[in-house]
Amino acid sequence: MSETTTVQVVEVKHAATHHEEHGHHEQSFISKYIFSMDHKTIGKQFLITGIVWAIIGGFFSVLFRLQLGYPEATFPILETLFGKWAKGGQIQPEFYYSLVTMHGTILVFFVLTAGLSGTFANILIPLQIGARDMASPFLNMLSYWFFFLAGVVMAASIFVQTGPASGGWTMYPPLSALRQAGDGQKIGTDLWLVSMALFVVSSLLGGLNYISTILNMRTKGMSMTRLPLPIWAMFFTAVLGVLSFPVLLSGAILLLFDRNLGTSFFLSDIVINGEVLPNEGGSAILYQHLFWFLGHPEVYIILLPAMGMVSEILSVNSRKPIFGYMAMLGSLFAIAILAFLVWAHHMFVTGLNPFLGSVFVLLTLLIAVPSAIKVFNWLTTIWRGNIRFTPAALFAIGFVSLFISGGLTGIFLGNSTIDIHLHDTMFVVAHFHIVMGVASMFGMFAGVYHWFPKMFGRYLNNTLGYIHFWVTIAGSYLIFWPMHYQGLAGVPRRYLDKRGWVNFNQFGELDKFITVVSIIVFVVQIVFVVNFFYSIYKGRKLRTENPWGANTLEWTTPINPGHGNWEGDIPEVHRWPYDYAKDGREFIPQTEPVGASESKH
Amino acid sequence: MQHPAFEEVTIHHHTDDATFKKKVKNTTILLSILTVVELAIGLLIYNMHKGEAPNELLVLMFKGMVCILTLAKAYYIVSVFMHLGDEIRNMIMTIVVPLLLFIWFIAAFIWDGNSYKNLRNKYDAHYKESTMPTKH
Amino acid sequence: MATTAAVQQTKWWTGGKSPFNLEYGKLMMWYFLMSDAFTFGAFLISYGTIRFSQNFWPDPNVVFNAFPGAGHANLPLAFVSVMTFILIISSVTMVLAVHAGHNNDKQGVIKWLFWTIVGGAAFLGCQAWEWHHLITGKHAILVNGQLDIVGQTTRINPWGDLASQADIATAIQNTPRETLVRLAEMGGHGHEGAAHTNFAALSNADLIKAIDVEGLHIRENGPVAFGGYFYGITGFHGFHVFSGVIINIIMLIMTQKDVFARRGHYLMIEKTGLYWHFVDLVWVFVFLCFYLI
Repeated sequence: MSETTTVQVVEVKHAATHHEEHGHHEQSFISKYIFSMDHKTIGKQFLITGIVWAIIGGFFSVLFRLQLGYPEATFPILETLFGKWAKGGQIQPEFYYSLVTMHGTILVFFVLTAGLSGTFANILIPLQIGARDMASPFLNMLSYWFFFLAGVVMAASIFVQTGPASGGWTMYPPLSALRQAGDGQKIGTDLWLVSMALFVVSSLLGGLNYISTILNMRTKGMSMTRLPLPIWAMFFTAVLGVLSFPVLLSGAILLLFDRNLGTSFFLSDIVINGEVLPNEGGSAILYQHLFWFLGHPEVYIILLPAMGMVSEILSVNSRKPIFGYMAMLGSLFAIAILAFLVWAHHMFVTGLNPFLGSVFVLLTLLIAVPSAIKVFNWLTTIWRGNIRFTPAALFAIGFVSLFISGGLTGIFLGNSTIDIHLHDTMFVVAHFHIVMGVASMFGMFAGVYHWFPKMFGRYLNNTLGYIHFWVTIAGSYLIFWPMHYQGLAGVPRRYLDKRGWVNFNQFGELDKFITVVSIIVFVVQIVFVVNFFYSIYKGRKLRTENPWGANTLEWTTPINPGHGNWEGDIPEVHRWPYDYAKDGREFIPQTEPVGASESKH
Repeated sequence: MQHPAFEEVTIHHHTDDATFKKKVKNTTILLSILTVVELAIGLLIYNMHKGEAPNELLVLMFKGMVCILTLAKAYYIVSVFMHLGDEIRNMIMTIVVPLLLFIWFIAAFIWDGNSYKNLRNKYDAHYKESTMPTKH
Repeated sequence: MATTAAVQQTKWWTGGKSPFNLEYGKLMMWYFLMSDAFTFGAFLISYGTIRFSQNFWPDPNVVFNAFPGAGHANLPLAFVSVMTFILIISSVTMVLAVHAGHNNDKQGVIKWLFWTIVGGAAFLGCQAWEWHHLITGKHAILVNGQLDIVGQTTRINPWGDLASQADIATAIQNTPRETLVRLAEMGGHGHEGAAHTNFAALSNADLIKAIDVEGLHIRENGPVAFGGYFYGITGFHGFHVFSGVIINIIMLIMTQKDVFARRGHYLMIEKTGLYWHFVDLVWVFVFLCFYLI
């Protein structure tokens, strides 16, 4: 009966039973590199697409930093590039808001969600749990292509005549619901919403696959408590995505209706350009609730994969077992639950019921507990370790540093009373960029440096890696640290020209400084991108299967694994993944049976 | 029969036809009865609204009863029709536990919706005057 | 009992097998449905939030009181109970189809899938009738100091509070002649063309006298969000029913062509079944939120 089995359900098993054939199987270019169903290729597709979007999103930030640092200067080159949007070489207000909106959307969704968890969930899950591929390679492929489609729609919105959406990455109505409100609220916003809907589909397809793969496809002996921490992190990330993205979808659909069908879900009592709108009875706060019900878990969708990878990389490169494996699991779990309970702390000053707000303050501050557990565990993992300062290890340490700095300012903002003063200021910008944006970027860089040899069978250039790390860590602090002071002094975010306020004039030089540093940091990221693409083809070749002396299963596969990952049978697992410096041995791979005289970990 | 697609599945269940048919029949009857009761309560509420000054608390109680009956219906559909009741305990938990998030999801949203009404009634006299129902 | 013992003895979490004794496709379907539950949940909770933020909300029994072919008889909850039972019965037939699949009984699968599809189509037909009835309905309302005749759309709601006689008396003077003619033609119970008088020939004053203000139950306009949510949520649910019917039809064709017989199992029918029951499950809550409370 199995000979006549059709492909759909049993693709993975097919690979399992006929793995020998796969080596000789000639695949066309399209099925191997474009519509590939191999999780490793799909992961690389996510990564490279993410890198392209990161360059675009990063470039946008350089543009609006130019405006913030040099509001009086003119840059004729900008008019050449962007025409009427930079009339006279100066960024026009509508363009400025579009840039900020696109920067946020691209970085949060396309780079740090798809580019981060899409990449590493795809590459690491089957390799580290000992599976031939994802549970459903076909849906996995669809996941990438829906993401690609979402990207195409978003990119198209940049080129429409009225420009891309400009309502901020949170797309709050009533601004985003009314075409009359500005150019960015015209077709650009519709495209933004459609793109988001496609993105939700993509993340759903991916997330469902990750969850069922981790549950069902683990190799023999790989119990849940023997899973490497990145897998646990990806698991919770996927759960967060599956439960929270649909709520964003609902909000986006209702907003589309308000925009196109004349409904009043979010609109009420509005007069615009002297015109009284008939909409009545809607609530703009409702949209914010819906948005942040996704939006807050989204923060952890971005952070958790970085946390998981950092745990792994720190342990491997300190040559020490991870400190408090179960505490790490527990805190991941606690963060995943709390992520759903705290969304309204983004809305303290919107007219939210103040008493309800105080409940959200309490729940929000609870997050400090699991976060602190994680931080202390990372620190104790590297404490007195035999640390190898590879670029990956440096970026992982940088992640911990940034997570602490950014996390502490979160305690300020999580208190509604302090938030009344600090909301919508540069303090908020500094906080979330450090803790969520840059920290997660560092986790992603750490992952790329660490697993690049597994992905491409070559190393990244180390010297460029060190330059990349030191400039980026210094630059990140130089860019965002001063913003705290601006914010405390009341400098608002989202203002493109603050020269009209005497009390903000003192920060003119500081803004110039921040702009200069961001340009330098941006250029260094380009160095990384060059390093990345150069090394794919010309990097130093891997000579051993296990370059870092790591315990996890991905390093037991051939240097360039084919579809199906292992040439023979899938290895069986006999121990947890963190047996480093044990019984006088530097590392003991998970595949090694527990010896009779071995001590317990 | 060990089919390749069932490799992950360790134990294969087989329900015999007679027990199965009986279970489905009973559940169908139960769902119908619950629905009829719901409809009866719905009509009761309707008739209370028609009368002079309905007892708000009583109406609320009846509405609460309908909600509980609906949850019971949902339980039977999921447990019997979707066979979740036949799955092993941990599987049931992965479905039921995340649904607990709905408690805070509903409570916080409704709470804030209600607060929005109260705030508007307090600070917007015109709104209150023009939307508050009057008894004729 | 033997199975229970085996379930207890198996080490479920050690890897190499599904910890839930479930094939991954069903697992994915379950978690997809969970995700979809949050989509619907978000819609219904939004509806609840808006409802709680209003001082007035229409009584569903006043809104949904029509039955096809029953003219203007007041039959609250009647039609929606028919819809609910159709969906419950189609759920039962789906259970039977899944069971037939378990037994590798091709004819049984075909038979019960067919009835499920019929049930789904009947439900969609009912919904189409209800939408059409609501949109094209003619209700006299008092809005902006005038009388008007409207249906239930996403932009206007005819089921506000009952208007006071004094307000109506003023408003009727400001109402355009064309509307007055139509109001007079509606007769007493919203029954257009009930009388055979040629109202167009009457003077305005006579027209106003001819209008049965009592019998028209003139209301103010109600919260517009009502229509948006009703059409939005029942529409989204209807879209699920529609896609379920399409999937069922595909499954029927695949069964007919022996795709599953050759595969040796009817897992696809089980997964489709889960989706179909979920659609029924959602309706239980839509029914609760829009029609009962």
